[in-house]
This record gives sequence, structure tokens and C-alpha cells, in this order.
Amino acid sequence: MQNPTIHKVEFSGNARSYFGIWIVNILLSIVTLGIYSAWAKVRTRRYMYQHTAIDGRRFDYHATGMQIFIGRLIVVAGFIVFSIVSAIPIIGLVAIFGLLFLAPWLINRGMLFNARVTSWSGLRFGFDGSYWRAFRVYILYPFLSLFTLYLAIPFAIRAQHSYSVNSHRFGTAKFHFESSVKPFYVAFLLAIGWMALAGLLMFLVLGGGEIFAEIAMAERTGRAPDDALMLRMGIFYVLLILAVLPAGFIYQAFLRNAVYGATSLAGGHEFRSDVKPMQLVWIGVSNAVAIICSLGMLLPWAHIRMMRYLSDHTFILANGSLDDFTGQQEESVGAIGDAYADLEGFDVGLPV
Amino acid sequence: MSGFPSDPGTPVPGHAYGPGSSRRIAASLRVADDQATLFGPQGERLVVGHARRRDRIGAGPSLIDIDDGWRFETDAHEMIDTLLGHEQKAGLMEYERFHPRLVLVVLACFAGVFLIWRFGLGVLVAIGIALTPAPFVSAIDRGNIAAIDRVFAQPSRLDADRRAEVRAIFDDLAQAAPEPPYGDYQLHFRHIPRLGANAFALPGGNIVMTDAFVRQFGDDDIIAAVLGHEMAHVTEKHSLQQLYRSLSIYLLIALIAGDVGPVAEDILLEGGALMSLAYSREHESEADAIGIRVAARAGYDPAALAVFFRRLDGMTGGGDGPQWYSTHPASRDRAAEIRRQIEELGLSAD
Repeated sequence: MQNPTIHKVEFSGNARSYFGIWIVNILLSIVTLGIYSAWAKVRTRRYMYQHTAIDGRRFDYHATGMQIFIGRLIVVAGFIVFSIVSAIPIIGLVAIFGLLFLAPWLINRGMLFNARVTSWSGLRFGFDGSYWRAFRVYILYPFLSLFTLYLAIPFAIRAQHSYSVNSHRFGTAKFHFESSVKPFYVAFLLAIGWMALAGLLMFLVLGGGEIFAEIAMAERTGRAPDDALMLRMGIFYVLLILAVLPAGFIYQAFLRNAVYGATSLAGGHEFRSDVKPMQLVWIGVSNAVAIICSLGMLLPWAHIRMMRYLSDHTFILANGSLDDFTGQQEESVGAIGDAYADLEGFDVGLPV
Repeated sequence: MSGFPSDPGTPVPGHAYGPGSSRRIAASLRVADDQATLFGPQGERLVVGHARRRDRIGAGPSLIDIDDGWRFETDAHEMIDTLLGHEQKAGLMEYERFHPRLVLVVLACFAGVFLIWRFGLGVLVAIGIALTPAPFVSAIDRGNIAAIDRVFAQPSRLDADRRAEVRAIFDDLAQAAPEPPYGDYQLHFRHIPRLGANAFALPGGNIVMTDAFVRQFGDDDIIAAVLGHEMAHVTEKHSLQQLYRSLSIYLLIALIAGDVGPVAEDILLEGGALMSLAYSREHESEADAIGIRVAARAGYDPAALAVFFRRLDGMTGGGDGPQWYSTHPASRDRAAEIRRQIEELGLSAD
């Protein structure tokens, strides 16, 4: 690529205008016992996408609240039936196995739906998934890494990103992902290392060993541990969680930089992310503290702050004009997969 | 938008995107007689058709769909209002504007969360229970007993005579207790070393009693009072209520709060679980109250339940830990409450 044009991702959302959207969404969701949340999701997404642009060209989100609502209705009904059925012996086992084989299909449907309802510069994204490849990367590989005591999990994570990126299109232009496994190990080991170190330090500083010994002693003598001991253990756990928290952000930062750096789009366009792990830790932890101290009212501010930081550190290295992408007619798909992703808590939205 | 100088004939500047292309075209939109025309940078005609406005969000662009997959976007919102009419603007946008009025919305949200917690969940739980067919509950019981037997229970080692005696008490209680909702009361004896002296009820009417319980609390009245307590859990559908309550909390948090971020979501879920413990304690107290009435009706001394808790209290060394993180109320408090109720009702068998 000679002389690429570098475009930074521009995010123009702000906490003031987002706050109104967020709080009205919550009120309407409460009044409708959660039904409106499908429309709320669409409104939030549209706000975020329409305020994100590259080279002055905006993203947009085209799903309708009704699509999301119907998808959720089906998934919630399935979830309830599954919860009840899984309490029955043999049928429960069959149900769990069934879900294992259903999951790749649902994940594919979720990514397909999200790609097709997302546009940039007036053109929609697309997704060409494969059931068995999804089964391999989301079910089989993580299962196999169990036998390596999770030491091989970075291989599985790389396979998942490779599958996801390689299956996506922008119009007819395919995305491509090519990376060694090294950055995935770096992210994994640094996060594990932080957890081990922070955990050990907390254990030594707060006398975790002593607490556990006393509890074990209390158990052996058959007497319930007294209040003071329980309180000390509670404080120990809270501090331990706080100390371990940064590991997640460190992992996320390294992984994001690695995935963006390894992604390209047909036509010779490349992507970069230069998120700083410690800055992400600072934003993530201070956001969490602000949200808790404000009883959730600073959540929109926290969300916007994170979006702004991430977009400030995301770049597209365009090889020539961004005018020449073309698309094809795409059929619309149901939102079951998207609803499943919502419930499972993984996000397949805009990767900013 | 009176006072704005433009007449409907003035073209609105913006950008257009054609069907199936990422090309960004500097364009202008003109509307006359319900017919929208999109002009390119050299004044060439790009498309003629009907214009449909999408609702605006925040400081986002005004977006207009025109026939054949053309789209026009502009930040000249007032000109578009003049052109296409103010009424096509988003209904919600006005309410979402940053304005002191939002304080009321915030307060309404807090009130709403409180009301859902206090009443809404109860309604959801009641609906769930009403919709649960009896065979499902029986299947849950069978599944649980099979799982208990597989994982940690062994056949009872009590001799047959002793079991028959306890069973006779059980039959007296079953006669006196309210009708079980999902199937007959059934008593199972098991040797479960890990649970110690214990008895528990499954939602479908199956009650499991450990050998250690019969050995340590051999007194007929105590066995009767504890069985009455467990039967009350069955008739009041306490375990189903707790199952549906936790399911509903999970769903409501996922739906209403939606994207609260990873850390905050965990805190919400943990908080919900902690608050559910309060309901569990409420259920225990309710089962105590019903249990002593059933025991008295069957001809046993209801005060034995208080004796039982007094002895339990002595065995655990009096340290139940603070109440707020326990699923059961403190034994001492329960014994006192039971005595108070017996006196109040004049239930005593002697």
C-alpha cells in the first residue's frame, strides 16, 4: 500500500444528549414491564451509530423495534421452557446437548442479523457464516482447550476472531484476518499474570491465609464462624475483586489492538487500534466507581466516555477512495440470534 | 417554523447515497407537490420520488429515504422541517432533550424500579405459577430425587419399625395439612451424612428426612412440627416462587437496564440475589406459622417447633451470623416468634 490516507474514527455523541435518550428508554421500559426495551435498544444503537463516522460518513442501524421484540419473545419463551425441562433427568440432558448444537446456529444468525442492519456510508454490511466452522470455533475448540488446562485457549480465541472477521463483508468487499497466535498469548498471559500477582498481594497484605485457617477451624469444631470473621472475609473478597478487575481491561486492550491490526478490507484498506491498557483500566474502573456512587445515573456519561476513548484510538488506513464499494440486494433475517446474544451477554455490535 | 426565510422551493444542501454504493455525493433536495427531487453537484437529477423522513435521534442527521434505495442526509434540520413538515419529526426527541423536566423522569424511574420490585415481581411470579402444569412439577421432584440419590444420598439405615412410627406421624400430618397442590405428600428416608440432621420439601409434595434428623430429634412432637413446616413449604409453593422470582429478576435486569456494563451488571445481579434472601426468610417464617397450626390440628404439641429451634441454637453455638446474609431467620428469633403465636392463638395441645 503506498501512501494510505489515515482516517480516525470520529465520535460525536455527548453525555447530555445521550442521558435523555437513556433515561426515557428506561422509564418506558419500566412502564411496559420490559417490552419497550426492544425499541429502546434500537434507539440507543441508532444514537451511537449515527454519531460515529469515518471520513465524514456515518454508520447507521436499521433494525426495527418489532424485529428485536419478536426475536426476544421467541428466545425468552425458549429460555423458560429450557429452564423447566432441564430439571427433568434424561430430557434435561438431551436439552443441554441440543442447546450445544443450537448455539453455533444462533451465533451465526446473530452476526448475520447485525451485519445486515448496520450500514456505513449508505452501504450495508453482510455476513457469510458456516455452521460447522462456527461449531468448531465456538464449541469444539474451547471444549478441547479444557484438556490443556486452558493453556491453548488463545488458539481458540484467535480462531473465533478469524472466523468472525473473515465471514464479514462490507457490501461485496470481504474482510480478511491474518495473525500469528503470539499477540493472543501476550494478552492472555498478561491478564492471568496480573490476576495472580494482584491476588497474591491481596492475600499477603490482608492476611487471607489467616482468615481461611480460622474458618476451617470453626468448621471443624462445628461452631459457626462469628460475625467479625465473616465481616473480615467479606471485606477481603471485595478488595480481591477490585484488585483483579483490571485484568479484564488489560486483556481487552491487547486483544483489540491485535485484532484490528490483523484485519484488512478488500481493496487494501487496513485498520489500527492503539488503545493503551492502563488508560483503559483507568477509564473502566473509574467508570464503575462513578456508576455505583451515582446509583447508575452517570451510566450514560460512562458509556460515552468509553466510546470516545475507543474511537479516538481507532484508525482506518484507506488505500484510495472510500467511494467505490458496491453492494448487493440482501434479504432481511429474523432477530432470534441477536436476542440470544443479548441474553448471553455477548455483543456483536459495532466493533468500535 | 414560521419566520424562516426559505420557501418550499428552496433546495436543501446535504449528501446523498445511491442504492448499492458507498459513494458520498454532495447533493441537494427539492420538494414540490409531494414529489422529491435529488440533484447532484452539477445540478444533474439523481432521482425523483416520494420522500419519507426517519425520526431523528439526539444531534444526529435528518435522514430521508427516497424511492429506489436512495438516501439523503443533512444537518439543515430547520430547512427540512419547512420542506417536509414539522409533524414528521421524532415524537420522543422533544422529551429526551436535556431539560430540568428529566429530573421527573429520573424520579419516576426510581419509583418504577421500587414498584416493580415490590409488586411487579409478585405478579410475574403468580403468572408463572398459574401457567405451570402439575406434571412438570412432579417431573422436577422425580428429577431432584434421582439427582440426590445419585450424588450424595444413601438408602436409609433406620430400622423398619422406626420408619413406620415416623410414617404414622407423617400420615397424621398429611390428613391435617391443606391439600397439596401438585400431588400427594410423600415421605422419603435417606442417609445423607453431608446434610446432617435435616428435612426438606420438594415443590411437588415429596419430603426428604435424613436419618440423622430422626436420631437426633426423636421426639414425636418435634418430628410432627418439622413435617408440618415442610408441608407448608409445599402448599405455599415456596420453591416455585423462588425459582420464578430469580428468573424474573434476571430477565427484568437484562431487559430494563440492558447495557449497564460488565461491572455494574454483576453488582445488580448479586444485589438481586442478596435481596431474594429476605424473601427466603419470609418464606421460612410463613412455613413456621402454618406448620404449627397443622401440627396442632393433627394432635401434636406445636410448641415442639420452638423446642427444636432452641436445641438447634444450642448446637450451632448460638452464632448464626448476621441475619441479612442468611436464608433462614436466626433460630432464637424463630423460637420466640413461635411461642408468641402459640400464646396468641391458644394453640397449645396441653
